[in-house]
Amino acid sequence: MKRRKIDLAEAPKNFAKGVDDRFQAATPLRGLLNKVFPDHWSFLLGEIALFSFIVLLLSGVFLTLFFDPSMKEVPYDGSYLALKGTMMSAAYESSLHLSFEVRGGLFMRQLHHWAALLFMASIIVHMARVFFTGAFRKPREINWVIGVLLFLLGFFAGFTGYSLPDDGLSGTGLRIASAIMLTLPVIGTWLSAAIFGGEFPGELIIGRFYIAHVLLIPGILLGLIAAHLGIVFKQKHTQWPGPLRTNENVVGERMFPRYAMKQGGFFMAVFGVIALLAGLFQINPIWLFGPYRAAEVSSASQPDFYVMFMDGLVRLMPNWQIYIPFGDGYSIPPMFWPAVVGLGALFTLPMAYPWLEARKLKDKRSHHLLERPRDNPERVGIGMMALTFFLVATISGGNDVIADKFHISLNAMTWAGRIGLLLLPPLAYYISVRICLGLQQHDRQVLAHGVETGIIKRLPNGQFVEVHQPLGPVDDHGHPIPLEYAGWVVPKKMNRLGALAPAIKGFFYPVEKPADIPVSPAVGGPAKREEIKSGR
Amino acid sequence: MTSDTPARRRARVFSRRRGAPSRARRRLGAAVRMLAALVLAGGVYTAFTPGAFAEDNVQLSAVAREGKALYDTSCISCHGRDGQGVEDRGPSLIGVGSASVEFQVGTGRMPMTRQEAQAEQKPPQFNDAQTEQLGQYIQELGGGPELPDGPLVANLESDPDALARGGELFRVNCTSCHGFGGGGGALSSGKFAPSLSDATAEELYAAMLTGPQNMPVFGDNQLTPEQKKQIITYISVQLQDDKDPGGLFNLGRYGPSTEGMAIFLVGITLLVFTSLWIAGKS
Amino acid sequence: MTAVHHGEAGTPVDVNDPHLTRFDIVKEGLRRDDIEIVTYESHFHGQNSKAERRIVRNIAFLLLLSGLFTAAFLVFYIVWPWEFELGHTRSDYYTPILGITLGLGLLSLGFAILAWAKKLLPHELSIQQRHGDPSSDDERLITGQTMMYVADELGVARRPLLKGAIAIGAAPLGLAVAAPLVGGLIKDPHKGPNPMMTTTGFSSDANGGKLVRLTREDGSPIRPEDVSAGGQMTVYPGIPHGATNKYADSPTLLIHLRADDAAETRKNAEADKNGRNVGSMWGNYVAYSKICTHAGCPASLYEQQTNRLLCPCHQSQFNIKDNAQPIFGPATRRLPMLPLTVDEEGFFVAAEDYKDVVGPDFWERP
Repeated sequence: MKRRKIDLAEAPKNFAKGVDDRFQAATPLRGLLNKVFPDHWSFLLGEIALFSFIVLLLSGVFLTLFFDPSMKEVPYDGSYLALKGTMMSAAYESSLHLSFEVRGGLFMRQLHHWAALLFMASIIVHMARVFFTGAFRKPREINWVIGVLLFLLGFFAGFTGYSLPDDGLSGTGLRIASAIMLTLPVIGTWLSAAIFGGEFPGELIIGRFYIAHVLLIPGILLGLIAAHLGIVFKQKHTQWPGPLRTNENVVGERMFPRYAMKQGGFFMAVFGVIALLAGLFQINPIWLFGPYRAAEVSSASQPDFYVMFMDGLVRLMPNWQIYIPFGDGYSIPPMFWPAVVGLGALFTLPMAYPWLEARKLKDKRSHHLLERPRDNPERVGIGMMALTFFLVATISGGNDVIADKFHISLNAMTWAGRIGLLLLPPLAYYISVRICLGLQQHDRQVLAHGVETGIIKRLPNGQFVEVHQPLGPVDDHGHPIPLEYAGWVVPKKMNRLGALAPAIKGFFYPVEKPADIPVSPAVGGPAKREEIKSGR
Repeated sequence: MTSDTPARRRARVFSRRRGAPSRARRRLGAAVRMLAALVLAGGVYTAFTPGAFAEDNVQLSAVAREGKALYDTSCISCHGRDGQGVEDRGPSLIGVGSASVEFQVGTGRMPMTRQEAQAEQKPPQFNDAQTEQLGQYIQELGGGPELPDGPLVANLESDPDALARGGELFRVNCTSCHGFGGGGGALSSGKFAPSLSDATAEELYAAMLTGPQNMPVFGDNQLTPEQKKQIITYISVQLQDDKDPGGLFNLGRYGPSTEGMAIFLVGITLLVFTSLWIAGKS
Repeated sequence: MTAVHHGEAGTPVDVNDPHLTRFDIVKEGLRRDDIEIVTYESHFHGQNSKAERRIVRNIAFLLLLSGLFTAAFLVFYIVWPWEFELGHTRSDYYTPILGITLGLGLLSLGFAILAWAKKLLPHELSIQQRHGDPSSDDERLITGQTMMYVADELGVARRPLLKGAIAIGAAPLGLAVAAPLVGGLIKDPHKGPNPMMTTTGFSSDANGGKLVRLTREDGSPIRPEDVSAGGQMTVYPGIPHGATNKYADSPTLLIHLRADDAAETRKNAEADKNGRNVGSMWGNYVAYSKICTHAGCPASLYEQQTNRLLCPCHQSQFNIKDNAQPIFGPATRRLPMLPLTVDEEGFFVAAEDYKDVVGPDFWERP
């Protein structure tokens, strides 16, 4: 029998053929390779969250190899002298062991914690981008809701993770969490007893939080992130208005090779920044906090920053207690309002916002073009109002640190927070609406009269006027014919029109230079586009 | 909730007055007190001419007499003649002991420049010898706690457990105000627990022993001298001298508030600039 | 902008035509995917231009740098002393070195890739049609009818007996699934020999009827002279495990007031409206629960001159001289006072358990 020769050059082809025979992958794969993505710096903020989540998963798996989620009391016998012989829970002991006796363990712990902070911070920034540009409008409401849920889940993932080492700070956090459960009318004590397995702190909570932190919450997060990305993929990304861009197309670059490569490079950059943070800045030095003891606490006891708004609201809440004189008498503690009702409202109101806005504007159309913030002043006002509220609450969550470091009275800080929480959000609404309207008006002015050139001309009658460079055609008298606003950047300076080079070349400049494309000599306008003949 | 005006706060720091007189009455009272203080200061000046000085306190030692001279120029306007105290200006110093003087004067908290929520640490006005003289004078006036002789830091070579025991005591007794990292913390209405990062062993010991300002007193029956030394060992060895192992910067050990600031100021800022560059036109 | 439809309008080509270049075939794929490339241009004029060579050199340098940093990471990971030592030692720099080498390694690699994509790959502008139109009315009708048909086939509507039977059959099954979860977790907070919400370690019931001593953390009892005037001490119930988290609601602050403060405190305690604090002081000593009535943190920042207790978590402030009434912040209830007395050996004991419920507030708190 003649031996069949294996042709190595044909191997990939045969392999590909085999795959397609079985999975019919060729057509969808081509679609993936060719998929067009719009390019703008603000579209990359969500990626920071995605990439930090990947870092979280990787570093988290490492940490589980050494962590012992048990509350059994053991004496410490490691290399950190200042705790030698101290009785502590096995969870805290293993966290110390992980920090001091595992080579590179402390680095991994800090990497995990910084990645968590970056995850939450980038979600906030990404949400702000989506909100202020109107990217949540139909058909993307569901993805906005998923995004809000992702923040909520990140909040709980962060809180459970913060609790796991069972150090002095995490125990204090758990104590407050138990107190928040207790404030629930009717079921409060039962809920707390169910979660802690009896009286606080019990011996179960770390184990329960552990399974929530490493399995339940990441599992749901992973599912929701997959859905989030899948929906973006299916619905295709939104884009800014501009030349060539319509509500029916996507203008940008194909996924491969350039776009995907940029994503890969950005992942490395995000990972690199987290690694730098983890090496340079000490985070959560649990060895200083000692094991959790119900009688011990530190000044400046705070949750991580994304929980601080809730702590701030709890601090600012006046001591209004509702007594219900019925039977033995019942009461609703003041903490119920900021911690339970407040948290609930802060998540459900944003979730409902896309429908509320559509209802108000009677807008049932699908929007794939983003709106510049100035073009919807009311939305910007509401967004700024919410952000200001969040910011005042967050700052109040650290008001004792501010009071101490800047020598302000603590009581004054509390009052400033209470007043600020009521006064500043409406003020932010008013100011941002005014700014938006002003910017709008200026855009219209430039479109109607042209760009100010800075050249002052003296008319025969002695009057001084500034010469304007019209942006479009002029009428018989030399006056510019007013242009219609297209929802995109209006050039307002002469160097934007190509009279001067941009100040910093290649920086702070969108890929699709607005004034460039229609007049680009390579294209010559959409009507008579020359065919592109080669790959280069 | 009661509102806390600065004036009331000031008045309360060194006096424990009952009730709250009206604002006008307080102002009037302050003016009267000021006048009284001026008259008193003038009177004291004339009364304590060097000639009259020797007869009053025959039993004072030479060092204490030096101290009295300093006292009569710098302290008497608030703390009164012979450390008897002046209502609403300064407490009596009878029985506070030399440890208290060493802390208050040695850290520059006394003499105060003005009445405020809390005496601030500042460059001391008296040198060590003068501080000792003042301390001796107060000690001989009414007795009270004194700093012990000998080293105030435990020897970790011979007693390696002192560090961990000190840490435990520190967390039970000190962290609630001074913080886990010893960075200090805010108290009510503008008062604060100072940072321990620069405190010397003598200051720490004297502070525990005497309870300066709003700090509680930790007498020798509550924290034995041995235990005080263990706490001082923990503060100086672990909190002051030990380099933080978790990075070049410890973010002040203030906990999550500075960490949250860092993630936005460093992390988000760097990455937003990166994305600006990525999407920027090349 | 007017919507211009491209793509499908273009002419299809025969991809098996041997004269086609690879790019022609790519373009046919784009046509089929409804994509049009508007601009596709290299950043450089001509092959191997000077500018291109410079950028290639820079990218190569970044890649090299990345390798260097990552190798340094590995070397330092292995050779640098990492075991924790007290004081200022070389091991304190282990984590920073790992972070800096790995971080810079990753950043150089990232920027190399980014520069490659940004500077070397041709700049392109493509347009893809969205095709975001909803399904046609026909399609919707067909799918809707299909679903109705499925329901019809089951015939639940026609067979009302089954409808009821499903409900009766499925509901217990659903409950049976939920029962172990809920039932396993649930725990009556008000039952048991020592109802968790209302008793602390100072209850003499748990101590065989004997009054419970106040002890330090190490279990040693306390004499009145152990706390100086103007001093405070954190005390625990003198029972087994009394100082552990098993009795997390028991830590108490024993305060020795100065004489004039004590007199005022006593006056207020004796005048207590509901009488719970009457007779609870012992001499100039008063003991308050350390657990804040707001959120349960230890409200232990004792200001000995202003006689306030401050909670570091939410800044509630309590007036020691007036039954620990809250005077600032979000707390509503006063801190409970522990009735104090001294036993025959001269040690502090709790005359009885707290008369107010200790710890944060809740719905059915009496």
